[in-house]
Amino acid sequence: MNRPQNEFERMKQDIERAKKGILPVAALILVAIGVYTLFYTVEPDEEAVVIRLGRYLKTEDPGLQFKMPFGIDRVIKVRSKRVLQEEFGFRTADTSSRITRYAKKTYGTESLMLTGDLNVADVEWAVQYKISDPFKYIFQTSEPTQNVRDVSESIMRRVVGDRSVTDVLTVGKVEIESEAKRLMQDVLNKYDMGILIVSVKLQDVNPPSVVKQSFNEVNEAKQEQEKAINEAEGAYNKVIPEARGKAEKLVSEAEGYAEAVVNRAMGDVKLFEEILVEYKRAPQVTKKRIYLDTMQEIFKELNNTVIIDSRVKGVLPVYSGKDLKL
Amino acid sequence: MKKPLIVIGVGLFFIVLTIKKFIFILPEGRQAIVTEFGKPVGDPKTEAGLHFFSKPFIQDVRYVDKRILNWDGDPNQIPTKDKKFIKVDTTARFRIVNALTFIETVRDKRGAKARLDTILDSATRNVISGHNLVEAVRDSNRIIDINKEKEEAAKNNTEEVIEEEITGEIEEIFVGREKLSQLIVEKADKELGELGIELIDVQLKRISYEKSVETKVYERMISERQRIASKIRSIGSGERAKIEGRLEKDLRRIKSEGYRRAQEIKGKAEAKAAKIYANTYNKDPKFYEFMKSMDVYKKVIKNGDSKVITTTDSEFFKFLK
Repeated sequence: MNRPQNEFERMKQDIERAKKGILPVAALILVAIGVYTLFYTVEPDEEAVVIRLGRYLKTEDPGLQFKMPFGIDRVIKVRSKRVLQEEFGFRTADTSSRITRYAKKTYGTESLMLTGDLNVADVEWAVQYKISDPFKYIFQTSEPTQNVRDVSESIMRRVVGDRSVTDVLTVGKVEIESEAKRLMQDVLNKYDMGILIVSVKLQDVNPPSVVKQSFNEVNEAKQEQEKAINEAEGAYNKVIPEARGKAEKLVSEAEGYAEAVVNRAMGDVKLFEEILVEYKRAPQVTKKRIYLDTMQEIFKELNNTVIIDSRVKGVLPVYSGKDLKL
Repeated sequence: MKKPLIVIGVGLFFIVLTIKKFIFILPEGRQAIVTEFGKPVGDPKTEAGLHFFSKPFIQDVRYVDKRILNWDGDPNQIPTKDKKFIKVDTTARFRIVNALTFIETVRDKRGAKARLDTILDSATRNVISGHNLVEAVRDSNRIIDINKEKEEAAKNNTEEVIEEEITGEIEEIFVGREKLSQLIVEKADKELGELGIELIDVQLKRISYEKSVETKVYERMISERQRIASKIRSIGSGERAKIEGRLEKDLRRIKSEGYRRAQEIKGKAEAKAAKIYANTYNKDPKFYEFMKSMDVYKKVIKNGDSKVITTTDSEFFKFLK
């Protein structure tokens, strides 16, 4: 039975050899782990909470930091420099392209809320917040994000609930934002959970989608009203100035006519007066002369005159246009 | 050479085990209760860090949360005092203040959740159904004050404005939303105290109409919008008719005024001319008659085609006799 003996011997030798190698290797690994767990880096947007044997020790700033190795110190990194956002009634789906895309799905349960006059408004908003105290953020509450969401929803409904739907849909937005921010901060301060609300932003405030169409109808009606009035005003402006001009024209023409009539009268009168003076001097001759002058003028123009002797009686004057000439 | 290594390994293992019997680490955000054979002893430890067992080997430790914990209720359909069916979704925050009692009564978080469900749901139901709907929606009577101010302003402003506001039910409230939350807390806190739990707050996260009520509200909103739309349209047509009427009126006035003024001017001129003529011609009416006759003859008998039949009796042709 040499073989097993041999084999056992060989194994023994192997182990002996290995032992010499293992010890330094084990020590090396131990040192490596120690060194490796001695450092950690904190990114620029983070802070690190250091826990020593379960107990909070300190909060470290960004950079390369040291700690006790072998799990004596535990480090929890928190993105406290970053502004975090929670969205309500909508979700940002993709911000990588130039235009931010939003998820198509609607979140009606989040965004539909009762207003103070018991109407319904569809309010979408976002809350931006920062972690002001990393330690409290981690250890004060079990679900910090859920708390922010719950409080935000509750407060937004409270603020909207104190306003009429008209207010909410039109003028009240800025006021709602600032009041919601203030009240949210109050509640979160009560929890003392190390969160600072940066802003509350209303994204879209609408009537519920079923009602929206009829709201648009009112706007359309307003447009129609404007249009009807404008058209009528247009027609008025087209007709009236023209009519005024025409009336002016009529008056001016009348004035012209008036002057003409008066001038003619004065002219006629002047002529008459001049002749009258001469006539008075020699009435018979002047009258005759004027008579004969006139007749001459008349008969010179005429080419169709029939003269009948006064002694010829019962003559039926038969003539035909051009045949009969004197 | 081989045996010592094993001895060292096993030794280390036992040392760690033994140390675990002497000390325990309490992490942040937790509290611990030391037990002896399962029976709690002493006050709960709340300070995070390293702790020693006073009686090693026979003592053990149980951890309980120290942080603020969340409870999220199931949306509940509740009728309000004014018989409106609404869905109420509440959340609450609580803290385990008495770890001992907590462990004794509900053991762990899951047990606590079950108790919280019953206690908070019933408290919510009681409070909500004991009040009108508006009390759960509004927190103040601010909206009423504002409406009053608006009415005052409207009184001073005599000009008629189109009432575009969406109408709704605005009743005075006496309690308010925040107060209701507090009432729920008060109701539930006593019972929860018996479980070692302190209720920090209850938030009425969502209050919404039940589907059929919601539909009715929407229908009302729609019909109201439609009414306002047709009112606006009709006001538009009215305005147009007014302008058209004004157009017709102004047009006639302008035209007739122009005519009247023209006629007046003409008339005055004619009168003036007549006066001038009369004044002068009266100096010698006979001669005027003669002159005018001559003038008229000339004007009347002008055309070469006029036919004149005359006799030698006439003054002009008397020498032809």
